[in-house]
Amino acid sequence: MTDLAKEKAARLLKKRGSLSSLGSHEVRAKEAFARTKDSISTVSYMEEPGHHDDIPRPAVQMENTYQLSPAQRFPVLTVKDILKDVLTSYLQEEKYEPELCRQMTKTISEVVKARVKDLMIPRYKIIVIISIGQIRDQNMRMGSRCLWDETHDNFSSHTFKNSSLFATATVYGVYFE
Amino acid sequence: MDDDPSAEETAFVVDEVSSIVKESLEAVIGRHPYEHKRVTQWVSSVEEQCLGQLSKLNKPFKYIVTCIIMQKNGAGLQSASSCFWDNTTDGSCTVRWENKHLYCIVSVFGLAI
Repeated sequence: MTDLAKEKAARLLKKRGSLSSLGSHEVRAKEAFARTKDSISTVSYMEEPGHHDDIPRPAVQMENTYQLSPAQRFPVLTVKDILKDVLTSYLQEEKYEPELCRQMTKTISEVVKARVKDLMIPRYKIIVIISIGQIRDQNMRMGSRCLWDETHDNFSSHTFKNSSLFATATVYGVYFE
Repeated sequence: MDDDPSAEETAFVVDEVSSIVKESLEAVIGRHPYEHKRVTQWVSSVEEQCLGQLSKLNKPFKYIVTCIIMQKNGAGLQSASSCFWDNTTDGSCTVRWENKHLYCIVSVFGLAI
């Protein structure tokens, strides 16, 4: 009995906590610093995943669909065209500047996400990663590896380059069962 | 329900993931200087080790691991990500790591099945 009451109190408290954070919808990055002898690392992540539902919505009971595979697959080529279009239109004339590019990565990732969302691919989760770097005779290597269902999940990637910067954008579409 | 003790077992725990990433970075790259020939192999072994450890957690997730290794010569690099997913179950974690000779950015995305 007391356990139940405690649980309820905790839940209420949590609710109030999330209410007070109303309006701070944006994702904040919390950083933790760690320093060892020869290397430095920082970790950033979304603030407490799972506490973002500021407005508690009543759970809707859906009927089973008995649908085992996606009706529409992740359209790799369409997404590639979107990436090409967005990267070219945003970066064609730009020179590398740290502050501008910092803003640019955020803007472009949001724009790409919105454009891909507009395709209305049902049951797919979308992840957009974009990196903009300066061209300065440096060497770098970028790679990714996924643990997923290769029959339904897919990705699309595009690299843009001009005289002073390069940008790589990758969109992953992951089927949500 | 976050009060549920079993929630911890199926959630994306950032600390857990970031320590996996850091461990594999320390193990694979450690104090090595930047070597063009070995970087390709480093990237894949970092990713492979991370995925291996992540799959051992036995959680109902699909994972995406990306790794960027860049030589330090004063050049800048900006990276951002944006996701359309279920905030309550899915999570991401990015580790920026560096030693004297190179920068490394590893991002892990966990998508609940």
